[in-house]
Amino acid sequence: MAVQFDGGVVIGADSRTTTGAYIANRVTDKLTHIHDRIYCCRSGSAADTQAVADAVHQHCQVYTAVYGGPPPVATVAAMFEKLCYENKDQLTAGIIVAGWDEEGGGVFNIPVGGGIFQQPWAIGGSGSTYVYGYCDATYKEGWNEAETVEFVRNTLALAMSRDGSSGGTIRMCVITKDKVERHFVPGNKLPRFWEGKEVLAQAPKPSIAVA
Amino acid sequence: MASKGPVEGPSIGFDFSNYARNQYLGQTMGGLPKATSTGTTIVGMKFGGGDSGEEEGIVLGADTRATAGSIVADKNCEKIHYLTPNMRCCGAGTAADTEFVTNLISSNLELHALSQGKPARVVTAMTMLKQYLFRYQGHVGAYLVLGGVDSTGAHLFAVQAHGSTDKLPYMTLGSGSLAAMAMFESSFKQNMKREEAIALVARAIRAGVFNDLGSGSNVDVAVITKAGTEMLRNYEMPNERGVKSRNYKFRRGTTAWTKEDVRNLLVSEEVAVTAGAGKLQDTTEASQGMEVDA
Amino acid sequence: MGSPMEYNGGSVVAMVGKDCVAIATDLRLGQQSIGVAYNFDKVVAVNDKLYYGLPGLATDVYSLREHLRFRVNMYRMKEEREITPKTFTHLVSSSLYEKRFGPWFIEPVVAGLPQPTELDPHPKPFISTMDTIGCITTPKDFAVAGTAADKLYGAAEGLWEPDLEPDDLFETISQTLLNAVDRDCLSGWGAIVHVITQDKVVTRRLRSRMD
Repeated sequence: MAVQFDGGVVIGADSRTTTGAYIANRVTDKLTHIHDRIYCCRSGSAADTQAVADAVHQHCQVYTAVYGGPPPVATVAAMFEKLCYENKDQLTAGIIVAGWDEEGGGVFNIPVGGGIFQQPWAIGGSGSTYVYGYCDATYKEGWNEAETVEFVRNTLALAMSRDGSSGGTIRMCVITKDKVERHFVPGNKLPRFWEGKEVLAQAPKPSIAVA
Repeated sequence: MASKGPVEGPSIGFDFSNYARNQYLGQTMGGLPKATSTGTTIVGMKFGGGDSGEEEGIVLGADTRATAGSIVADKNCEKIHYLTPNMRCCGAGTAADTEFVTNLISSNLELHALSQGKPARVVTAMTMLKQYLFRYQGHVGAYLVLGGVDSTGAHLFAVQAHGSTDKLPYMTLGSGSLAAMAMFESSFKQNMKREEAIALVARAIRAGVFNDLGSGSNVDVAVITKAGTEMLRNYEMPNERGVKSRNYKFRRGTTAWTKEDVRNLLVSEEVAVTAGAGKLQDTTEASQGMEVDA
Repeated sequence: MGSPMEYNGGSVVAMVGKDCVAIATDLRLGQQSIGVAYNFDKVVAVNDKLYYGLPGLATDVYSLREHLRFRVNMYRMKEEREITPKTFTHLVSSSLYEKRFGPWFIEPVVAGLPQPTELDPHPKPFISTMDTIGCITTPKDFAVAGTAADKLYGAAEGLWEPDLEPDDLFETISQTLLNAVDRDCLSGWGAIVHVITQDKVVTRRLRSRMD
């Protein structure tokens, strides 16, 4: 997911990569560097999203060489969208592009099949459906950096606890004019919410049957 | 063959000319044969660095069983493939694909090193592999553990057949990857010593060899440091064949045959002596004929 | 119905002995369960001390044999020397892999004695085998392929032993082949064995069951 705030963006993702039911990588870095102040979050096929991100990364280097400066986030998002849309038959790639440019923080959602949607916040991937309601109910405009980081961390933790395909750790990245700062939340330091202790404490101890 | 045959110069890449026919044959006859697959355990891990007092390096490990369905096609095959002097690649999946893809990338890395005037980096090999495999959308069934040491340090990557890559301090691939991963998850530590790392890799492969049906036979290990690669072929041989207590040699003449054709490869030549430019030679020696090796 | 690999039937086996190699094949050509011919020799010579067998789909046996004849002749003319067993194996392998996505239905077996040279006056006997897409295996003991491959594995695993003299190798390979093809409906109908030594090649037609 990615969230805009005044002066920058916070992007975040869980760290789980699965092949079927097997966790192929439990400490994946899904926050992919595209340019100095632009990152993307990838969801869908790992191979497809990596290939697209690598291609856009190369486009950005060419762009910088030709125009003598970093590309705006909207331009990079357009590059992603072009690739995702024109090859939609062969790709399964849901990408959130986020970063900082002269206009401030920018978040662009490019869902599977193409299309660009600029939003103050965007969530994607298998776990996102579980937390749309939470985001709608919680998000407020005018947050500062710390509040935004908190929001991203809580949203991801909720998604990871409900979605089997998400999990592991939380990786976040704060992108502003002055810095690209990484945050890491290990699996045993995730924010916790109601887990039923109040109910379970009153329940009789389950008896264990031995076959 | 495509429009160009080897006479005009080799045509490059795959030839799909049998594809339509085989598709038809597969439908009418029911099922196409399966290629040799390396039902495999392959692993890799980083070691050294930090406060271990040793330089950074990579240990790769592999079992040595190749299977074709439920048949063991090769009991001692090599799954740690050469890429460059300081890079190796373990292969799982379709055996022919891992073999050819690593050979191809190995050649291209050599050319790359020659044109750039310096050894290729591990990320370069990783990028070449992933871009090649992505192009074939997973149809080239190579699942690789790539390890090496270059000017930027020791690196370990997993490359999947569809073209995705992962960077990890330890990893396992193939049918025995779960058994091997159990060893790493319980025993891996950052900055292990070289000997500890080799022991852990061998233990992970052994876990695959003994707990996964697709893996078996021996343990191959490769240790890569800045100094170069040490290939420890058949580092452990926990499944050596027992000596036969009796031999089953057949008595000569057991097999009945109806026709025999012997092709003599020794060329015998007659030296006819003439009273030529020189003096006359001894005639008794000349009439015997000489045997000369072909 | 069977697969194209079982359509015509047939098997080949090669074995290593002491300074000798042997390669043997059955002679059956069938159309599924119907026997069509009993003179279908699947083993051909490349040169004096290099033979190879092509069990599999008969139409591809002819195609590949002609292709290899062409390639070996080109090699001979360009290099002005005979091809070695190892080089020939790689030639076959790349010919097969070229058709990775539309393979020849053939599993070749190669057996040969390399020519002694000054650098290597006592070269080791060489055998190899490949799958349909050219994955090479170079066993120290024996190589099998064809519809009776399973049975040949069993027989050879039991009967083969190291350092067999040419005469003993003939008995071992013959008995291995004969007993294996007798348990295979699609192989049999006569057999031919070649025993290759540095001095001579002995080719024998075996007496076998014809049912």
